[in-house]
Amino acid sequence: MTTIAAATVLSTVAACGGSDDSGGASGGGGGENEASDIGVTETSIKLGGHYPLTGVAAPGYSEIPTGLDAYFTCLNQEGGVYDREIEWIFRDDAYNPTQTSQVTNELVLEDEIFAMVSGLGTPTHSAVVDFLNDEGVPDLFVSSGSLLWGDNPEEYPMSFGWQTDYMSEGKIIGEYIAENFPDAQVGLFLQDDDFGEDGEAGIRQYIDDQIVAAERYTPGNTNVGPQIAALQAAGADFVVGFNVPSYTALSQLTALQLGYDPQWFYSNVGSDPTLVGGLLNRFSEGQVSDAALLDGALTTGYLPTVDMTDNPWIQEFQRIWDECGGEGELTNYRVYGMAQAYTVTQALQAAGQNPTREGLVEAIEQVGSEWEGPVFAPFRYSEDSHMGTSGMTIERIVGNGSEEVQPVRVTDIGDAPIEEFDGEPATPPANAIPDEEAVN
Amino acid sequence: MDYFVNVTLTGLTQGMIYSAFALALVLIWRSTRIVNFAQGSMAAATTFIALALIQAGQSYWVALVVALASGFILGAIVERVIIRPVEGGPELNAVIVTLGLFVAIQASIAIIFGSSFQSFPTPFGVRGLEVGDTTIPLTPTSLYIIGSVLLVMGLLVALFRFTRVGLAMRASAFSQEVARLLGVKVGGMLTLGWGLAAVVGSLSGLLIAGGSFVWPAYMDALIVFGFVAAIIGGLDSPVGAIVGGLILGLALSYVSGYAPRGSALVNISALVILIVVLLVRPGGLFSSATARRA
Repeated sequence: MTTIAAATVLSTVAACGGSDDSGGASGGGGGENEASDIGVTETSIKLGGHYPLTGVAAPGYSEIPTGLDAYFTCLNQEGGVYDREIEWIFRDDAYNPTQTSQVTNELVLEDEIFAMVSGLGTPTHSAVVDFLNDEGVPDLFVSSGSLLWGDNPEEYPMSFGWQTDYMSEGKIIGEYIAENFPDAQVGLFLQDDDFGEDGEAGIRQYIDDQIVAAERYTPGNTNVGPQIAALQAAGADFVVGFNVPSYTALSQLTALQLGYDPQWFYSNVGSDPTLVGGLLNRFSEGQVSDAALLDGALTTGYLPTVDMTDNPWIQEFQRIWDECGGEGELTNYRVYGMAQAYTVTQALQAAGQNPTREGLVEAIEQVGSEWEGPVFAPFRYSEDSHMGTSGMTIERIVGNGSEEVQPVRVTDIGDAPIEEFDGEPATPPANAIPDEEAVN
Repeated sequence: MDYFVNVTLTGLTQGMIYSAFALALVLIWRSTRIVNFAQGSMAAATTFIALALIQAGQSYWVALVVALASGFILGAIVERVIIRPVEGGPELNAVIVTLGLFVAIQASIAIIFGSSFQSFPTPFGVRGLEVGDTTIPLTPTSLYIIGSVLLVMGLLVALFRFTRVGLAMRASAFSQEVARLLGVKVGGMLTLGWGLAAVVGSLSGLLIAGGSFVWPAYMDALIVFGFVAAIIGGLDSPVGAIVGGLILGLALSYVSGYAPRGSALVNISALVILIVVLLVRPGGLFSSATARRA
C-alpha cells in the first residue's frame, strides 16, 4: 500500500577533461562523441533500474542499486566511458509487478534511458520484459537467476541474464549432495514460482531418489509452520532451500519452534548471513543469538563476499564504497551491484565510442563470454545464449562469513555436464575500471 | 500424528493472532458502529513507537505500556479530529475516511521510522516447548499471546456487560439520540470507544510483531484475516471474535499443511470460509440479533 516513489538520480560529477580519450576503452573511434541513440548525449549515458526499495523484499535487495551508484560515481570521476558520465536512475517497485510496469514506463518513456540495467526480481521483471524487448531497449543483466532472460534470445533479443541461473545452481547443489551426502534424506523448501521450480528441476537431475519431500511457500504468506512441519514429518535430515532471505529467517525460526535440526543448505539468494542473522538476533532479546543459527549451513557462491578481505576485488570495492558510496557499510548486496556495474562498463566500452542500442547487444553477444571480472566463472553470452555466469562454489557458513568446501564448478542449463573450472581468478585492473576494446 | 499436532498448534497460535485483531474491530464496532479500516496501520504505528523505545534500550514492558498509552491517545485524537466532522453524514463517509487514514498513517510510518524490514523482540522464548522427548510448536511466546488475548476478551466482556460505562458506550453506539435523551454524554463515549479500541488494536499489533518481522505494511495481511475472523464471529461479540479467529487459523493451517500447494491456497480459502459462514448464518456465528439499528 505504501507508494513512496523513490527516484534517485546520480549527482553529476564534473568529468569533462578535454578531448583526450581517457574513457577507459582504448580501441574505439578517435572521432567525436555524438548523441548516437536515445539516452546517449555527447557527455552522458542514462541507465535505469527497478528495485524493491520498500516492502517485504527490500531487506538486502534495496542495497544493490547503491552499489551500482557508488561504482558509477567513482567511474565518472575517472572520466566515465568515452568521456561520458553514467547517469544512474533507480526507482522503487516494492517487488510489485504492477508497480514495475509503471516505473519501467517512466524510465523508458519519460527519463528516456539508453538501457535497463539490473532490474530486480523474477515476477517483477517478467512484467516488463516484453515491453522492453518490443521497444528495443537493451535489458542488461537482470538481477534474477531465472532462465527467462537468457535461454531464448530469439524471443527476447534485448535481455541478458547475469548471475548463475537457478537450474545450474540446482544441478551443482544436487551433484554435491550425491557425492558428499549419499545417505541424506533430502527435503526441499521452495518458493512457489520459477525460482523454486528451476532449482528443483536442476537438483532432481542428480538426487531425485534422495528427495523425500518438496514443500512450497507462497511469498507474502509468512506462516511456514505447516511446510517446515511437513519436511520434519517426511524425515528429511537435509533441507535445501530455494528461498529469499526473509524466508531463511522464517524457516529457521519455525524450525526452532518445532525442535527441528536438519543440515540446512540455502541457495545463494537466501543465504546472506549478515542479513539473516541481523533479522534473527533481536528476537527474544538475545535469546536467539546472532548468526549462530545459520552456522554450519551450506550455500553457494559465484562472487567474492565482504568477509573475504584478502580478495583484491573486495579490497577495490571497499575503496570504492569508502570514496563514492553513501551511508552504511559495504555489504554483499552492494558488492553484487558493483560487480554488475563493472560488467555494464565492459559492455558500454565494447559497444564503442558512439553506442547504439543494437550495437550494445551485438557487442555483448560477440565478446561478452571473454570478459573477466569479479564473478568466479565466465559468462555464456553468444548469439544463441544470453545466460550469465554458470560457475559456483559450495561454501559453509561460519559466523558472518563462509569457507569454501568445493571449488568452482561450471555447467549449463538442460543436461549439460558439470565440470571443474580450470580458469584462474581474475585480478582487478587499475581503479577496478575495465579496459575493453570496442568491437563495432 | 505428530504432523497433525504440529499443524494444529501452528494454526491455533496463528488463529489467536487473528482473534486479537478481530477483538479490536469488534470493540470499535460495538462502541461506535463504524468499521475502522485504519485499525491496522494505527496498530503498526504504535508498534513502531514501541520498537523505537526498545532500540533505545528500554525494556519490552516499558515499551508495551507506552505503546498502549499512545494507542489510546491516537485513537482519541483520530475520533475527535478526523471522524467527528464526518459523523452524522452517510455511514459510508466515515468508513471511507478510515480507508484514507489507513494509507496516510502507513505512509507516515515509512517517513518517520523508515520502511526497512526489522525484527521485533518478544520477552519470552521462541523455542518450542519440550513434552517428553518431542518438541511441540507451542512456544512461551505463543502462550503469552494466547493468555493476553483471553485476558483482553474477558475484560471487554466485563466492560460491556457489567459496567455503567460499557452500557453507556453501547447505548451511544446503538442510538445517539436516545442515549443523549437518557443523559449519556455521547461524544465522550465515542472518543472513549475509539481510544479503547486503539489500545486493543495496539496490543494486537505488538503481539503479532513479537518474535516476527515488522515493516510499515506488516499488518496488511492481518487486516484481511482479522476482518474475516470478526465477521465469522458476528462483528458484535468478543467471544465470536476469538472463535472466528481460531476457526480461521486452524482451517488455514490445515489447508496449508494438507492441500497440494497449500500455501498458495491460503488466501482463497479464507474467502471460501467467509462465504460459507455467511451463507449458513448471514449475521455471523455469534450474532445476537439482526435488526438492532435504531
